[in-house]
Amino acid sequence: MARYFRDVWRLRYFWLALVSMDLRRRYRRSMLGVGWSLLHPIAMTAVLCTVFSTLFQEDVRTYGPFLLAGLVTWNFVVSVLNHGCQCFFLGESYIRQYPAPLAIYPLRATLGAGIHFLLGLAVVLVLVWCLNGFSNLPALVSLVPTLLMLFVVGWSVAVCMGVINVMFQDTQHLTEVVIQVLFYVTPIIYPAKLLRDRHLAWFVTINPAATFLELIRQPILDGVVPSPATYGLGMAAALTAAGLAVLTLGKAERRLVFYL
Amino acid sequence: MALIELDDVGLVFRVRRFGRVSLKEYLLHGLFRRSKQATFEVRALEGVNLRVGDGDRIGVIGHNGAGKSTLLKLLAGVYPPTTGRRLVRGRVSSLFEIGLGFEHDATGWENIAYRGYLQGETPKSIRQKMQPIADFSELGEFLDVPVRYYSSGMLVRLAFSIATAIEPDILLVDEVLSAGDLAFQAKARQRIRTLMSSARAVVVVSHDLESLGRLCDRVLWLDHGTVRAFGPQEEIIAAYAQASAQLQRSAA
Repeated sequence: MARYFRDVWRLRYFWLALVSMDLRRRYRRSMLGVGWSLLHPIAMTAVLCTVFSTLFQEDVRTYGPFLLAGLVTWNFVVSVLNHGCQCFFLGESYIRQYPAPLAIYPLRATLGAGIHFLLGLAVVLVLVWCLNGFSNLPALVSLVPTLLMLFVVGWSVAVCMGVINVMFQDTQHLTEVVIQVLFYVTPIIYPAKLLRDRHLAWFVTINPAATFLELIRQPILDGVVPSPATYGLGMAAALTAAGLAVLTLGKAERRLVFYL
Repeated sequence: MALIELDDVGLVFRVRRFGRVSLKEYLLHGLFRRSKQATFEVRALEGVNLRVGDGDRIGVIGHNGAGKSTLLKLLAGVYPPTTGRRLVRGRVSSLFEIGLGFEHDATGWENIAYRGYLQGETPKSIRQKMQPIADFSELGEFLDVPVRYYSSGMLVRLAFSIATAIEPDILLVDEVLSAGDLAFQAKARQRIRTLMSSARAVVVVSHDLESLGRLCDRVLWLDHGTVRAFGPQEEIIAAYAQASAQLQRSAA
């Protein structure tokens, strides 16, 4: 396994170059450039804020950043799922010619999604700072382990989605449906408390997306370091995902090329 | 040091009769054990033994579908063997499916870098090779243009120039001798000859028996995925030519 990671690292210039090319290609010939990827969650936030603040008298100053943080994180999840599905097809011509470790293609998808996520997170931080200021700045440090875990989860999920999608191409369509459903059952546009009060606490607990939303929101919005229990859940998600990814790649590494 | 060892290597492709298996099909198959989409196996290679060491120039011949290209991909590490053992030591460079593997939205320069990185170059080491690659491809200012606007001949020029720019220990060549226009072909042939003389070991697949005879000292004759004969080039090429001629006569 160490050797595998060394191979991945040895090819870092390759996948880094592809990540930066993906970024440039996505916004080729567009004026706003990367701004487009930020505009989506910001516009959503603006609309939902208007609606919810009139309907439910939510305070925009707390609800706005809450929503934006949720949407930005959710976009990362969606991006990893969707681009993960495509990652091996995108790298097909390389896979057919060079024996490079397969994990670099999901890594490319994850890093691309991660860059957009970090940009979005920066906007969230600026927004919070402008609206309310940070009550407890050191709490933000607790985001570092969260982001590391999120990266592990993202890479692992992309690996699994990629392999499954090569085997069964229905996966990418099924994923779109699942994403839509998950969006509504995950506390993104409403607080997790709403589910907890309705005896659905178990669902928040087993939903890794909900865990990571909490891990990201608490330090930014409330200035609170998340509880060890929440970190434990995040860690469990990361380890499970990584374990599944290792198993999947162990099975697929030598065979995937025949299915492309 | 360059070394290739194939020890009783076999490669089996599993091909589905009707393309890909759907999830529905897979579940039905798993649940009820009666899928219509039977898979069948193609024995692409069987019982291949080969030992290539320093100084060897090996040619591979055989009719279409005999497993020549598969053998090269197996040597390159793209296809893992289903049975047997494959051992390759040394830096491998392969020239096959040469037009593939470009990022169409990236420029020629960028594509040179990407391919270089994939072959283990670093930004520092590739910088010195960029100009020679560009010069050899003769693409000039087209290198600043996204690859999607290239003609197929230009793509081949670029791919060939990149692939032959690194000095490999083991060189695998798959009938690329017919790359590009006439002028470039002559240049490409010259380049391959220089490469072949500098590489420690070379394996070439070609239908051009005459040039194989000149380039190689030993020839491997593949027939339906098995080794029909392996030995000195004059002997094997003569036997192969005779067999082909016989086939043609019986067909006529």
